[in-house]
Amino acid sequence: MEKVMGILERILLPVADKLNNNRYLTALRDGFMVALPLIIFGSIFVVIANFPFLDQLLTEEAFTTYQNALNPASAATLSIMGLFVIVGIGYKLVEQYQLDAVYGGVVALAAFLILTPQVVEDVSGVIPTASIGAEGMFLGILTAFISAELYRFFVQKNWTIKMPDGVPGAVSRSFSALIPITLTLFVFLVIRIIFSYTPFDTVQNFIYSVIQQPLTALGSGLPATIIAVLLIQIFWFFGLHGQIIINSVFDPIWYALNDENLQAFQSGSELPNIVTKQFIDTFLVGMGGSGMTLSVIILIFVIGKSRQLKELGKLGAPAGIFNVNEPIIFGLPIIMNPLIIIPWLVAPVVITIITYFAMATGIVPKPAGIIVPWTTPPILGGFLATGNAWQGAVLQAFNLMVVCLIWWPFLKILDKNYYENEEPS
Amino acid sequence: MKNILLACSSGMSTSLLVTKMEEAAKSKGEEVNIWAVGQDKAFSELAKADVLLIGPQMRFMKKKFERAAKEEKVFVDVIDPVAYGRVDGESVLKKALAFFNE
Repeated sequence: MEKVMGILERILLPVADKLNNNRYLTALRDGFMVALPLIIFGSIFVVIANFPFLDQLLTEEAFTTYQNALNPASAATLSIMGLFVIVGIGYKLVEQYQLDAVYGGVVALAAFLILTPQVVEDVSGVIPTASIGAEGMFLGILTAFISAELYRFFVQKNWTIKMPDGVPGAVSRSFSALIPITLTLFVFLVIRIIFSYTPFDTVQNFIYSVIQQPLTALGSGLPATIIAVLLIQIFWFFGLHGQIIINSVFDPIWYALNDENLQAFQSGSELPNIVTKQFIDTFLVGMGGSGMTLSVIILIFVIGKSRQLKELGKLGAPAGIFNVNEPIIFGLPIIMNPLIIIPWLVAPVVITIITYFAMATGIVPKPAGIIVPWTTPPILGGFLATGNAWQGAVLQAFNLMVVCLIWWPFLKILDKNYYENEEPS
Repeated sequence: MKNILLACSSGMSTSLLVTKMEEAAKSKGEEVNIWAVGQDKAFSELAKADVLLIGPQMRFMKKKFERAAKEEKVFVDVIDPVAYGRVDGESVLKKALAFFNE
């Protein structure tokens, strides 16, 4: 067993290292971090605008006025999150080359807008919000990567306008960015013009139908989700932060799916996706942390006899409620514990399947596209993520019990082992 | 003042440890400044630190941190998983303080 573990660790560590230290994946992850406060701001106002029973308490007119007053908050942030992610990625990527990062952000934004359709139903001079929201997500990410790289390339070629000594630093910097930005944006203008002669008409259509749609269709399916969940669990089993490693690959897909649901939720139409960012963050991670360890803490309080587990329960509970579970993962321990690997891998898969089918059959509403911070305690998280639906809260409570049942026999054995090794007090 | 920086994925779980380490330092009468950040902020905070301790779940980033830390002459270490699980501030502090004697 030790040997197998050793071999697996030697395989996983470099994979984690590669995924996490890759220049583009790092920029992508940090770019989403830039957008996150704005996304959460918008989410809060979607929740407030859709408080339960308000539509019944208020007159229809008052309710519409109320919603119209609050809608700009999410329309300016959550609905067009792609824009902030693009600025974030451009900034973070150029920053890695130790160049003036703010230009990386704006050049990425401008390049993306150049590629964006600027006509809505024959009205020109307008930008469809869909293209700067969910539909533009993948194009935005690609554009940010390419434009930041081109900008860096042109800066490092040193085709910059040199200012004489004595010119203030800020002035010469603004000129030094001029040529690289001009060349970079020109490239994107050419790309736009070329695409206008293809059947796709815009680059956005092309990327959306050739890359984004197939990838999100794959990523929204149950098999891909189970694989992602299992990978997260396996990384954690070896004491590596599975979430951060897997998220850097899956986040663009999960966020795009999320945004599609948000658009549908706000327009009152049927929600298209079950698997979204919230499916993962609220219904899998938001149950005490990766592996739903809040159930483990509950179980410790119910059946724990050994001092070791009781102590761990007390230590892990306050953080566990907010889905921080490192004390449990390293303290139980879960890492490298052959007894624990079965519930550790089985429970999240079972919960993924239960949650998926509860939503597919319509028993529980699908995630409404609201980004609930992953530190939101379970029950509340499920309520908010489903657009203020009590069914979401009940599903989380039910799932916590299912995880308890799966863990029961294994935790019982572990507790017995600890108890027998402890000196009677 | 001895500056000890802790880093994990988002600075959540290491911040649990900060409180415990501060308590341990107080009882020992050590003058320390301990704070926790997420891994993306750790690079910009590095200059203010003497020692950087990273959560064991982020140990795959050790090399990257070491490269950055070399320029700032900061010691980098991965926190022992057992001590991390027990949120054992005393033993983590002890290991961190050992760097100041080198």
